[in-house]
Amino acid sequence: MKKQTLRRCLAAFWWLTLAFLYLPLAVVVLFSFNSANSSARFADFSLRWYHQLMGNEAILSALGNSLVLAIVSALLAMIVGSVFGYGMYRHRRRRLGGLVLLIYLPLVLPDIVFGISEMAFFVQVHEWTGLLSPGLATMIIAHVTFQIPFVALIIYSRLVGLDPALFEAARDLYATPRQRLVHFMLPTFKPALMAAFFLSFTLSIDDFVISFFTAGPESATLPIYIWGAIRKGVSPEINAIAALMIAAVAVAALLSLAFGRRRAR
Amino acid sequence: MRQRMIDKTAKAPTRALGRETRHLLLTVTPGALWILLFLVLPSVYLIGVAFMTTGPYGLPQRPLSLDAFERLAGFGFLGWSPGNLYTLLRSLGQTLVSTVLVVMIAYPVAYYITTCRARWRPLLLLAIVVPSWTNQVIRSFGWMNLLAPGTPLSELAVTLGLISPHLGLYPSNFAVTLGLVYNFLPFMVLPLYSAFEKLDVAQVEAAQDLYASPLRTFRHAIFPQTLPGLLAGIVLVAIPAFGMYVVSELLGGGKGMMLGNLVANQFAGGANWPLGAAGAILMILATFIGLYVMRRLGKRLGGGEQVVI
Repeated sequence: MKKQTLRRCLAAFWWLTLAFLYLPLAVVVLFSFNSANSSARFADFSLRWYHQLMGNEAILSALGNSLVLAIVSALLAMIVGSVFGYGMYRHRRRRLGGLVLLIYLPLVLPDIVFGISEMAFFVQVHEWTGLLSPGLATMIIAHVTFQIPFVALIIYSRLVGLDPALFEAARDLYATPRQRLVHFMLPTFKPALMAAFFLSFTLSIDDFVISFFTAGPESATLPIYIWGAIRKGVSPEINAIAALMIAAVAVAALLSLAFGRRRAR
Repeated sequence: MRQRMIDKTAKAPTRALGRETRHLLLTVTPGALWILLFLVLPSVYLIGVAFMTTGPYGLPQRPLSLDAFERLAGFGFLGWSPGNLYTLLRSLGQTLVSTVLVVMIAYPVAYYITTCRARWRPLLLLAIVVPSWTNQVIRSFGWMNLLAPGTPLSELAVTLGLISPHLGLYPSNFAVTLGLVYNFLPFMVLPLYSAFEKLDVAQVEAAQDLYASPLRTFRHAIFPQTLPGLLAGIVLVAIPAFGMYVVSELLGGGKGMMLGNLVANQFAGGANWPLGAAGAILMILATFIGLYVMRRLGKRLGGGEQVVI
């Protein structure tokens, strides 16, 4: 009896927490369909803000920048990070304390310190050499830096879960390093590599602070554009872009659920 | 087969070692170099900037000095002012309050998930994590929509006499706390959940059989077992909360400024790089304390890798 009340309370608390987590997002989506220019009163259903979006050059170019940044940085991070993760695994018996620290640094350093130190550094390097002027290139460099640890850790944990005998088997069958890579490593790692790529991609799309400080005048991404629009004065148009980005996340969530289920079977 | 391996190692142990080292260097160097070059070096540079003097346009210049730290402590041209100190205290206060709130919400939530059927658990965890996949700016914007003047929540607060009429719940320190809790809740739920999942139920049942009150059962049978998860969660929540920029900038207004905003302003509008760098050093220090805790934790749990993800 008593146990049941406890469970009911827990369930109620759970639903409250979910409401807390989803309310702000729901409000954004709801008001993106608001015909009135207000965040306090919902007047009528309309698609007017979405129509306005379509004609907005700045938003479209910001979307383009976001995608280029996410894809290029995720690809680079996937290559560098997975090799790193493999190296960490192969030599896990050695003392790699320093390397582990290096991996954790980007994970735990607050975004703002991360962004500012890179910005200050890039500005200084630019002053000395003329290279690395702020723009997509500096943003890609910064994004790869925070993606590498995630990729390395994903690959590492995947490798730890594998049977070490697999590696020996490949070697014992006199596979050349190249054959081992093409016929054994790549197929085995394909899921982990894909996961790493998508995680890096999402991290990149999701990032605001680091992008904000390493961006140039021409390389605003969607979050940077939204930030600017909010600071200039809230326009319902922001609700519409934000709602689209929330929809993208919802699709990603459904996909990850579908993949998770399939793997579980 | 086995013979071959032994032969190999017996024949040339030193050469094998050299090859292994080369392999290690070959695989690890690109990533390590990248992080060294584009994160460690810039951070070291930033730390250096903190010890320089402010030149024209707020850029750093020689000679070396501790001016920036004096400015950070509030000593300016016009004598001492408490502004920066308030900001610092506010950051600490917000971090503390939001971390405590997050713990209080995350404990029942994580526990509830473990009591559900195993096949539902991934879905429930996903439900907790998904909101944090949306952009931080958008999440704060959602709260701006909810807490603005004239919205139901603000009207309710006015009716209850919590705020004066025609004001909204944002911008305020309350809104920042709310935003921080909202942002970091998943970071606490995940490690706590994995701690609960590994929980030795026999201990809890033993406590119950001995007629321990629920509170005592929690204190003596559950809490110690979930402590590692809790500590990991605190590190994951408190460090980024201490360095928060977006939430306090959007939801806090002038009176809700935190250290992150103080630092960022020195590199954008106000332009005083050394002062900003001095503030950043505080955050770097907090980070290293967190890293240290994490490492100790990792050692105690054996193999720290899994703690983070």
